Amino acid sequence: MATSGSLIRVTGLKKYYNKGAIKALDDVTVDINRGDVMVVIGPSGSGKSTFLRSLNLLEAPTDGSIVFDGVDITKSHVKTAEGKTVRLNIDEHRQKMGMVFQHFNLFPHKTILENMTLAPIKVRHMSQAQAEEKALTLLERVGLKDRAGAYPIQLSGGQKQRVAIVRALAMEPEVMLFDEPTSALDPEMVGEVLDVMKGLAREGMTMVVVTHEMGFAREVGSRVLFMADGKLLEQGSPENIFSNPQHPRLQDFLSKVL
Amino acid sequence: MNVSKAGFEAVFQYSGMFKEGMLCTIYLSFFTVILGFVLALVLAVMRMSDIRPLRFLALDHQGRLREQGFLFALSRINPVSFIATVYVEIFRATPLLVQLFIVYQVLFHKDVINLPAVTVLGFVKLNRFLPGVVALALNSGAYVSEIIRAGIQSVEGGQTEAARSLGLTQGQNMRYIVLPQAIKNILPAIGNEFVTIIKESAVTFTIGVADLMAAVKAAQAGSFRILEPLLVVAALYFCLTFPTSKIIAHFERRMRRGDKR
Repeated sequence: MATSGSLIRVTGLKKYYNKGAIKALDDVTVDINRGDVMVVIGPSGSGKSTFLRSLNLLEAPTDGSIVFDGVDITKSHVKTAEGKTVRLNIDEHRQKMGMVFQHFNLFPHKTILENMTLAPIKVRHMSQAQAEEKALTLLERVGLKDRAGAYPIQLSGGQKQRVAIVRALAMEPEVMLFDEPTSALDPEMVGEVLDVMKGLAREGMTMVVVTHEMGFAREVGSRVLFMADGKLLEQGSPENIFSNPQHPRLQDFLSKVL
Repeated sequence: MNVSKAGFEAVFQYSGMFKEGMLCTIYLSFFTVILGFVLALVLAVMRMSDIRPLRFLALDHQGRLREQGFLFALSRINPVSFIATVYVEIFRATPLLVQLFIVYQVLFHKDVINLPAVTVLGFVKLNRFLPGVVALALNSGAYVSEIIRAGIQSVEGGQTEAARSLGLTQGQNMRYIVLPQAIKNILPAIGNEFVTIIKESAVTFTIGVADLMAAVKAAQAGSFRILEPLLVVAALYFCLTFPTSKIIAHFERRMRRGDKR
C-alpha cells in the first residue's frame, strides 16, 4: 500500500437524490495523499460536505469507489490477504478516520474526559487509566486540561470544538476530516480552533478540510479543491487556485469571498 | 351529605380490606409497569425496524434503484413495523374498559385460557388479577412504545454520526450515546405513565379484582356511609401517586447533570 503516497483514492464518486434529478456529487475523482492538507472550498450546496461525509460513509454514495488504505470501503464485501471473502466492517475503517463536525456533536451527558475516553476504551479496548492519560495529554495540548471534569454545556463554542478535535485524535486516526469546523463559532473563537488545526497540519497529519476560511486554505492547505454543483471543477496548489484561477465559476466565487 | 367522625370510625372497621386493596393495587401497577414496558420496548423496536422483505423489487432490471411507482411502493412495505403500528393505533383509540372486558370475557374465557381459581401473593385471586394485569399492560405498552420511540428519535442525528465516526458500532452507539439521552428525555413522560397506571388500575374492580375500589364498595355497603370510604380511598391513591412522581422527579434531576452550567 505504501507504494504510492495515496491514502484515500476516490474514483467516480456519485451521490444522487430523486432519481438523479439532484446530483449532490457528480463524478468526483481525487487522490488524497499521506500528509496532504486538502482544503475543499465552494459555494454552499456545492457538495463539499457530502463529499467529506462520503469519505467515511456517513453518506452512502450512489456510485463510485473509495479506496482507503487499499480497501474499497464502498463494497459490502472484501477479499482478505488469504483470498477469503468477508463482510466489510466499516467501523474498523471509521476508527482510522477522525471527524470533526460543524456543530461539535460532543456527547452532552458525558464529561469532557468521558467524551474522549469512550471510544478508546470501548472500541480500541484501552484500559481506563491508559485512555485517561492519553486524553489528558491531548487536552493539555489544546489548553483544556483543567476542564476535563466539565460537561460540554459548560464550555464555549471554541472550547467545544477543540475538545471535538482531540476526541477524534484520541483514536489515533490516519486522517482527520473537518466539516466546516469554524462555521458555527462566534468570530472571536475561530482563531483558537484554526490554531489547533494548523498545529496538526505542521505535525504532518493528513487532513481534509471543508471550510469557508480562505486564509486557512491559503496558509495551511497543501492542495485546494474547488467544487460547485457537485462537480470537482478545479484543483491545485493554494497559489494557483487563489492567484491564477482558471474556471469561470472559481473566478466568480473568489471575487465574492475575497 | 355530611362527613362525620363516626363515619370514618365506621370505615376503619374495614381497614383490613383497605390494606389488602392497597397492596393489590400496588401489585397490579407493579406487574403492569414491568409487562407494559417490555411490550413497549418490543413495539418500539418493531416500529423502528427496517425489515422490507420485498426490498429487491426496488431494483429495476438494470440494477438501479427505483424511486417511484407500484413496485417501489411494494418494496417499502415493512410488515413488522406495520403490525406494531396497527397495534398501537387500535389500543390508543379504544376505551381501556372495553379492552379490559375483551381480555377478561373473551381471552380469559374458560374455553380459551382457563385460569385455576387459586390465590397468589397471600390473598390475590389469580383468575381476576391476571386478566387485569394483561389488559392494563396491553394498553400501557401501546402508549409507552410511542414515548420510547419519540425519545430515541429526539436524540440529534449528529450524536449518532459522532459516535459512528469514532468507530462505535450501532449497538454501542445505542447503549452509550442514544439511550442514555433518550431515557433522560422521556423520563417525565414515563413517570406520568406510571402514575396513570396506578390510577387507571381502578377499572379492574369491574372484573372483580379486589383492589382499593373493591374495598370502597365493601365499606360503603357494610357501613352505610358513602362519602367517607371515597375520601379514604382518594387519600390512599394520592399517597401512592404523589411519592411515585416525586421519586421520578428526583431521578430526572440526577440525569440533568449535563444540562447545568
